[in-house]
Amino acid sequence: MAETTILSIVDVTKRFGGLFAVNDLSLDIHEGEAVGLMGPNGAGKTTLISVISGQYKPEIGAVIFQGHDISGLPPHRICRLGIARTYQIPHPFINLTTRQNIAVAAMYGKGIGKTAAAAEADKILDIVELTDKKDVRAKDLEALTLKRLELARALATDPKLLLIDEVAAGLTEVEIPNFLNILKRIRSMNITYIMIEHVLKVMLEAVDRVTVIDYGIKIAEGTPQEVMEDEKVIKAYLG
Amino acid sequence: MKVNPHRFKEFIVIAVVVAVLAVLPVLGLPRTWLLYIFLFFIYLALANMWNLLSGYCGLISLCQPAFIGLGGYTLVIFTWNGLPLYMGILGGAIVAAIFTMLISSAVFRLRGIYFAIGTLVVPEALRVVFFIWRPVGEQIHGKGAGYMIKGLNDVSMTHIYWLAIFIGIVSIVIMRLTLSSKMGMGLAAIRDNDSAASSSGINIFKLKLFAFVISAFITAIAGSIFYMFQGYIAPESGFSMKWTMTMILATVIGGISTEEGPIIGTVIIVFLHFLLARYAGISLIIQGILLIIIMLLAPQGIMGFARKTKIYQSLLRLTAGDSI
Repeated sequence: MAETTILSIVDVTKRFGGLFAVNDLSLDIHEGEAVGLMGPNGAGKTTLISVISGQYKPEIGAVIFQGHDISGLPPHRICRLGIARTYQIPHPFINLTTRQNIAVAAMYGKGIGKTAAAAEADKILDIVELTDKKDVRAKDLEALTLKRLELARALATDPKLLLIDEVAAGLTEVEIPNFLNILKRIRSMNITYIMIEHVLKVMLEAVDRVTVIDYGIKIAEGTPQEVMEDEKVIKAYLG
Repeated sequence: MKVNPHRFKEFIVIAVVVAVLAVLPVLGLPRTWLLYIFLFFIYLALANMWNLLSGYCGLISLCQPAFIGLGGYTLVIFTWNGLPLYMGILGGAIVAAIFTMLISSAVFRLRGIYFAIGTLVVPEALRVVFFIWRPVGEQIHGKGAGYMIKGLNDVSMTHIYWLAIFIGIVSIVIMRLTLSSKMGMGLAAIRDNDSAASSSGINIFKLKLFAFVISAFITAIAGSIFYMFQGYIAPESGFSMKWTMTMILATVIGGISTEEGPIIGTVIIVFLHFLLARYAGISLIIQGILLIIIMLLAPQGIMGFARKTKIYQSLLRLTAGDSI
């Protein structure tokens, strides 16, 4: 396969005080790929996502998106360039309805007007199967619905690269196939994604390749099956 | 754009009310009555602009008197230099808007209650500046740096009264336009969750600054009109905390984060001023107690309370408009 690189993380370091959250990490993501990010708690996965999406600025290294150095750009600029993220703990606009939540992301992320954004929101509601909740205010939604709303809001900004931070956590056995379906739909929209996930079943089915990090350092890389059998990975998880 | 029949009815009602109020001075209504109507529209503009920042952007601004004072003093500087009054009013609004841009990069670093405290010192600092600095006219000894506003001889009280009605209505229209626009949605998103807003492509700084500038611009105009009526401005009154108190009271009593709230709240505040006019000494204490009672009993104000009642909700359903 002749693959174009959509995102290059080049020797990125991000510290909090003396603690290395991400330590000299490099990673290439190809267009159309689905990449999993694994690692024990505190390994630096969410920090890496925050560095890519602009919440944090890398101290050393660069993040290259479609050939442009985006490190240090503010989050809204990075979003408009085509990188969207979800938050592990849902960050809804609580006083807005589900549909308004999605519409406002479409307005600013895609730079479109109110009417076009409303139509776009209806499309996204369909994709994430939230149409029946469209007029409910976000503060009245239950936790699992909020996770889908996270995905919806990110999708509304029309991303080329989607960063998914543990959306499946807390799903029951029955809900997982449903969630995998949504991910399939996202892939069919030509969206590349990086996904942090602890639910193995989701990881095994929804990504092509897994990168495992621990203490901010990449310790393994490969297909989900390969990685699960890697000794360093087993050691990192089980100690 | 389609004309919403409900909106049209609303427009007619407002137009009739405004027309009636506007002809009152010609009909020879007592001066004190006109004074209270005048104050209503000035306070309404101030409360609306405070509600825009606090209720819709989460910016608890305590520096609104800075814009009032800057508006008043710019008017003084313009009229003392022989420039027309209207140019002075507009000049004051522009000065306030530019001043907002200058302080924004500092105060926007602060959030929530820290923003409130950061903005609190701004009018205080300006009060001291205008106490010492006499921008026009001769240096005077002794205390005070008050000014008469010149060029008021050709302007009748009726004229100033109309200006107040005008700015009050403009502030309502601006609220309506802003909140129903794309910008209003963006501001709601920032208020609810700023990190999600910024990762959804919203330029938080730019949007907040825009709201802040609008607020400063209109507040300065309302201030200038008030001082045209007063004829005299001094640093202690122009940059006074009392202004902040009035707009907070009106907005909170009526219902913060609601469009109707400041209108209802301002009616109550002006009525209170009328009742308490003879007891100036304890007026602020009574207003403060009222504020505490309202916050304990109905933290969302009168409108917030009304919205919970069944009658209001069924009314709302009948008139539901073109919301997203």
